[in-house]
Amino acid sequence: MIRVVRAEWLKLRTTAVPWVLTGIAVLALGLTILGLFLQKPDFNQSSNAGYIVPHTTQQLNNLAGAGLSFGYLFALLLGVLCITTEFRHKTVTTAFLVTPNRPVFVVGKLILAALAGAALAVVLLVATLTGGGLALVARGGSFSSLLHQVPSVAPGMILVMALFGILGVGVGSLLTNQVAAIVTVLGWFIIGQTILVGLVNGAARWVPTGAASAAANVSQGHRDGAASFQLFNWWQGTLLMLAYGLVFAVIGSAVLTQRDIS
Amino acid sequence: MPSAIEITHLTKQFRGVLAVNDLSFEVAQGRVTGFLGPNGSGKTTTLRMLLGLVKVTGGSATFGGRPYQQIEEPVRHVGAVLEATSFHPSRRAEDHLKMVAMSAGIPLIRVEEVLDLVGLADVGRRRVGKFSLGMRQRLQLATALLGDPEILILDEPANGLDPQGIQWLRTFIRHQASTGRSVLVSSHLLSEMEETVDDVVIVSQGQLVLQTTLAELTTRAGTSTGMRVRSPEIGRFTDMLTASAITFRTIAPDTISIDGATPEWLGPILAEHRIVVYEVAYEKGSLEDVFLTLTHGFEAAVPGGPSSTNDPVMPAGYGYQSGTGTPAPPPPGIPEGFGGPPPSPPPPPGIPEGFGGPPPPPPAPLPGGPS
Repeated sequence: MIRVVRAEWLKLRTTAVPWVLTGIAVLALGLTILGLFLQKPDFNQSSNAGYIVPHTTQQLNNLAGAGLSFGYLFALLLGVLCITTEFRHKTVTTAFLVTPNRPVFVVGKLILAALAGAALAVVLLVATLTGGGLALVARGGSFSSLLHQVPSVAPGMILVMALFGILGVGVGSLLTNQVAAIVTVLGWFIIGQTILVGLVNGAARWVPTGAASAAANVSQGHRDGAASFQLFNWWQGTLLMLAYGLVFAVIGSAVLTQRDIS
Repeated sequence: MPSAIEITHLTKQFRGVLAVNDLSFEVAQGRVTGFLGPNGSGKTTTLRMLLGLVKVTGGSATFGGRPYQQIEEPVRHVGAVLEATSFHPSRRAEDHLKMVAMSAGIPLIRVEEVLDLVGLADVGRRRVGKFSLGMRQRLQLATALLGDPEILILDEPANGLDPQGIQWLRTFIRHQASTGRSVLVSSHLLSEMEETVDDVVIVSQGQLVLQTTLAELTTRAGTSTGMRVRSPEIGRFTDMLTASAITFRTIAPDTISIDGATPEWLGPILAEHRIVVYEVAYEKGSLEDVFLTLTHGFEAAVPGGPSSTNDPVMPAGYGYQSGTGTPAPPPPGIPEGFGGPPPSPPPPPGIPEGFGGPPPPPPAPLPGGPS
């Protein structure tokens, strides 16, 4: 299994996909951080400033975790792409010749995508500390107070992005057509889920984003404003997220095992 | 001889299409077996079932009794070349090989070895998207060789290769067999493979037509011969042939081929009627003809298959038989006389002498023809 995962990692890094996705994610991170500095200042403070310097715990926490607000989508896409690209370029033929046991192939991808999602989270955290830290210091803020927020943000972010990588592979194993898979996951996370949560009372905690938000609280020790959405606690959220990914992966593997590769 | 591959009553039913129908054959160890048949005859489906990529509907396809999925480290025992398109275009050739080597637990040193073996050592760092079709075929071969397998399965490996590439491939396959490997190589052209294979398995419409050795097939081919004639007066000549009920095939507007004819028969006729010829060539029946006959005739025999319009091996009523004493009717359109200086002796006007007249010259005995 280790060598399958190592080979999968080689496969992933020898194509442009992860690097382009990481590049776009870092770009998006820059814009998010900029947005945090350009937020309208509180009314009871001097109102003529066009920008704010994050200084409250909440503001610093938001800044440290800026990458997660969109990064989960990139982890998800990474998962979807790492498996669907095999079908798009027919490299799955070679993959199945080397690994005729198709569920093993899917498991290799699941582990890879979890690691890749976690790695992307680390990259975004480092980029946040570098870019956000520089901006903070330039505006007279305190870098060490930002650094203090990292332990409360990082574990949740890494965990959630790994879980989204797994979910991506799960969906991709079932929907092997790359375009269909991407349209489906983006459609769900941008539109479908919002509609469902609006229509069905109590759905928020059950949808993947709700489960992931709960999982993100792993190191916060409290629900942190999540009470209004009645989220699960972090480990329940983690299990639910994992269940989503694995259910898709199990069904996907079963379908894949019966499929003719021609 | 022990077998390397056993195909037993193999059947594949795709939605509504019977792609492979009760196919059985064996591939002998240490020999090159050509797996031949027209496009769409089920060759690729058979090979993909053998490799566990396509599910078997009925029967079995095994390597020494074991299906591909049950072989430990399959790429160390069976190397396969399936299609030249299954690469990620932005991946470098050597990374493609490294990735296969890594997941199969093959030492990475093999990557350079196989690149060298197929003549791609200089371009290993290039992205596959920039490769020509021929280079991709070589890279597929390199991939198949990574695990140093004892069995090679090649699906139409000559596709997209230029003549030098095909020559190289032949040498390559012969070399693999000389080192004791068993090779199963498919092709829709027998001519591509006739210098390469020891045994042939011919399929058509998913069914076995013939399994034999190349030597046996060559013996069959040797029985079919003919003459090719290119002439500016081909119309006049073919009218004569038609009138005498002699079958021929039109190869080009000015070229025909007469199956079963011999130089001894043709020469005097051409001389007697003073037909200008640009080219007369002796045609030895090729393996390709036998192959076409076998697959074509088979299709004709299968209900719903395309019908056979001619019998390329030995046309019935073949050959001009002068000894029967039945004169051929005068062919219409043959001009009286021959325009040139009168032949000596001059033929009776209107009826081409030598066609349907008394023997001179007698046609050579023709195998299969009436005598």
